[in-house]
Parts: sequence; structure tokens; C-alpha cells
Amino acid sequence: MQTLALLAVDKEKLRPFFSRVPELFEQHHHDSGQKPEMYEELLYKVHRPYTNDMLSMIDDWMGLERRNISGEQEIMLRLFLLAIRYPDTLLFDSLDDILVNDVRRLSAYLHFSSHTYTIWDNDTRKGLAKLGFEIPDTEKADPFIYGAYVGTIELIKDLAPFTCFLEHDVPRQRLFQAALAAYGRE
Amino acid sequence: MSTTEIVEKYHPNFEGWIQEFQEWQTRIGFDPAWLGDYRFEIRFDWDSAGDEIEFGDFSGMPKWKRRMQIPQQNIIDAILTMVSVQGDTEFASVEQQNHLLATAPTEYDRKSALRIMCEEQRHGWQMAYLLCTYFGEQGMREAAKLLERNAQDGTRLLGSFNAPIDHWLDFFCFTHFIDRDGKFQLKMLSTSSFQPLAASMGPMLKEESFHLGTGANGLRRIVKAGVIPLDFLQKYINKWVSTGLDLFGTDESTSAEWAYVYGVKGRYDERESEMDADREHLNEASRGLYFDELKAEMIRISKGRKEGEPELFIPSDKFNRGIGMYAGKRYTVKGDPFEGSDGEWDEYLAGILPSDADEKLLMDEYMAPGVEWIQYREWKE
Repeated sequence: MQTLALLAVDKEKLRPFFSRVPELFEQHHHDSGQKPEMYEELLYKVHRPYTNDMLSMIDDWMGLERRNISGEQEIMLRLFLLAIRYPDTLLFDSLDDILVNDVRRLSAYLHFSSHTYTIWDNDTRKGLAKLGFEIPDTEKADPFIYGAYVGTIELIKDLAPFTCFLEHDVPRQRLFQAALAAYGRE
Repeated sequence: MSTTEIVEKYHPNFEGWIQEFQEWQTRIGFDPAWLGDYRFEIRFDWDSAGDEIEFGDFSGMPKWKRRMQIPQQNIIDAILTMVSVQGDTEFASVEQQNHLLATAPTEYDRKSALRIMCEEQRHGWQMAYLLCTYFGEQGMREAAKLLERNAQDGTRLLGSFNAPIDHWLDFFCFTHFIDRDGKFQLKMLSTSSFQPLAASMGPMLKEESFHLGTGANGLRRIVKAGVIPLDFLQKYINKWVSTGLDLFGTDESTSAEWAYVYGVKGRYDERESEMDADREHLNEASRGLYFDELKAEMIRISKGRKEGEPELFIPSDKFNRGIGMYAGKRYTVKGDPFEGSDGEWDEYLAGILPSDADEKLLMDEYMAPGVEWIQYREWKE
């Protein structure tokens, strides 16, 4: 599968992006609007067993209204976060509509419970498009679209040269997602 | 590396070396089951290695892809030495650290340390592959020696890699200070005129960044937890910084100069620097960049300290040095010449470096079972 995906990669298109990853990451992640200190706190504060408070902290960091779901859906969500394993996204189908209606929110919960999943972000999607990876726009957590988004960022991470990699306390998926977001905005 | 050392038994190919490697794992107490689904792979990044020699007297010529293309025996010897030393440090660190897995403060730390040990073994594996594949019988003998020398016996090539890593504070200092030196060495080899060596460095550097992050984050989490007093932690920083600085080698090194002339090993910032290299002071220049990086990192680590705690700092590069122009001379951690008597010097050192009593206090009190001396973090894939 990955071998097939590699055939479609235009390495020349990736080069200018790879040469600027640390600078682009800095631009996006350390922007005050991104609340980088709160992000790093969440890396520590979100852990098993997940609680409503932890999910609310993620809502706050994302700048989203607190989720409005029933107690049963809250349990469904927490069990989902415990059960899902990268690269699975088909488990989305087991969730109620209210939980999959907002891909940004769900992807943020996934990111802080399992770093391999990346936060959905429209600028990041535009950054991927600039590199030749067209991911359709969506607001819903579509398992195939989100799966392609996460898988592509993983692929970029694998192809990146060592000069892209920082030693800081930020998962590598966040490093590339943030750099892509800054790239997409340009 | 001793030139008189003779390995009597060695396997004639890389497959044979792999058998030796598996025996080495058992011998040092590293259970192969800990690897899980991790597989040792040979990884090259030919793109970042480049095709043309980038510096030195062969600059502009095609990079050497095979031993037969290397124009002089002394260049082959220099490359062999560098690959051997690099491989030696990789296996040494696993020998030094694997006993710590049983006492990890959290599952996150255990898994991080295990990942580091797997990747260090892969780096050693890669270096052994280069030796066996590109350097014939001489290379295979050197590859065999990588598994014969042992940190616990004190026979590893570099001093820091024979020092015991007794506890997790030393582990975090080691990964922060000594693995950072490793990053410098790998980057200096990433522009090498010997292409398979240069191409090996990219994937190794990618993995190394996680090792450094584990060290820096570990120290930051210790500072945030606030259980180990920072003036106490400072003693361990004082101990490790001079060790890291010494690893860059002697001042005015002729071997570093020759390695540069051959294009085998560049400066840390070889591709970024716009200035010509000062070939007589190559080790000093790299050491200086390393020292600057340590200072910047320590500001970040110290940021999370509790109110009233002193700021952590990097001691002077003159303090406690074993190599270079300050070796054996007496300077304070602030870099001032120490004027007192021998007895006063010993007393001074006892106050700023960890003593046996400090080690006991660390293990029995600060890091005793049940004490949350490091900020909790969960392992996430």
C-alpha cells in the first residue's frame, strides 16, 4: 500500500517544504493563538482513564464550545478513544452522528489520546494540496477522508529528511501538521 | 582504537555477525523479546548524502561509493576508525542502560528508554553492516570487536561509554548531554565523502532527535515535579557537561584536520556555514556550537522551576575538563581560576559534584519507590 502511495509522490514538490519545516512549525505552533503552552500541558494532562474534564480541556484549547452530548454518548466517546488503534478510522462508523459531525473536535480528542492521529485543520489540508495531496474538504469525520489525511501526514513524516526533526516536546505528527498549516496559509 | 588488538575468531560475512549480535544481546541481559515487533533494518538516505565531495582537498569530485574508489589507504583507515568508534558507542550505551528498564518511574519512561535502546542497537547494526559490506576482512574484524568490547568491563573506546549509568537521573543527563554529542558527530559525518557513511546518517539523526528529546523532557519533568532540589540537580549537570565537552576531542587536533582534508568528516554546520573552515581548530568550533546549544536548552529546562528554586545553569567550559587546553587545570563552575590549596579544591569539588552521600540521598529519599519525583506522562503511540 505504502509502495503504491510512494509512486504518486512528487519529491520535487516536497523539497521546498522540507527545507522550511522547523521555521514553519515555529510560525504556526508558537503563534499565541495556538496557545502552545496549553497544548504542551495537554500532552501530560490527558491520559487513561479519560474523563469529561480532560475532554473539556481539549475543547477549550481548540477554542470550541463545550460539547453538548448525553451521558451515554460521553461514555461511548470515551470507550471509542480507548478502543481505537492507529491506523483504524472505520471505528468512526460506530459513533452517533452528533460525535462525528465535527471532524475538528473528534480529531483533537484522538490526537491527545493517541498522538499518531493528527488534528484536522483546513490550512493543513491546503498545505497538503500544495504538495500534491488533494484531500477533500469536510466537516464530518468521514473515516476515509480523515484516514487519507492522517495517512498522508504519516507518509510525509517518513519521507522527510533529518533536518525537519526537532527535539522538542511535541509529537512528530503535530510538528508536520503545524508546519503544513503555515505552508497552506501562504 | 588499538592497532595491535587481534580478533582471532570472526564470521566472514554480515549474516555471521548477526549471530554474534544475538549472543551479545543475551550476554548483556537484553531480552530480545523486549523488541516486540521492532526489526533491525539497514536504512540509507541517499538524497541527503549528496553526490559530490563537499569540502576538503577532494572537493567537487564524486563521493566514494565503494572502498576501491577511495584513493589512499590512510583515508580508508580514517573511515574505518570513525565507523568503528560510532558503532562502539551505540552498543556501549545499551550495555550501560538496559538494567534501568526494571526501575522505570513510569511506563512512558520505560517505553521511551526501550525505544532508545532498540534504535541505538539499530545504529550499531548499521555501522557493522558498513564495516562488513564495504571493508572486507579488516571491516569484519572491526565489526566483531564492536560486540567484544564491553562497557561493564571498561573496554569501550570512549571514557563516557564506560561510566556506569546507575539511575534514571544519570539516564536523562546521558541522553541530554552525551546523546547530544552523538547528534553532533552524526551530523558531522552526514556530509562525508564516503557516500554509504553519509547516507547512513540521515535516518540515524531522525531517530537521535527522539533520544535527545527524551533527555531534555526528562530533565524538564524532574524540574516541574519539584521533588529533587535544583541545587542538588545542578551537581549532576556539572558532572555531565564536562564529560560531553571532552567527547569532542583534543584542541588543535590533527586527526580532525586530516578527516576534513579527506572530506570524511565535516563541521557541524558544514552545509549552513558561509565561512571557510579553520582546519586547525575544528574540534573547538564544534565544541563551541555544542556548548551554545546546551546553554539555550538549559534555559528551557529551567523555566518550569518552582518559585524560590535557583535557576539551573551550564558550568563554564573550563570546569573539570579532562581534554583540551583546560585539562587538569583548576577553574570554578563560573570559569574563574581557583586560587586555593589542594584541600580547598577537593572541598570545592565535593560541594559541586555528586558525592557518594548525594547518590545515597538520591536513591533513598528523592527517588525512593512511591515518590513522584518526575512529572507523570502516559505513553501514547
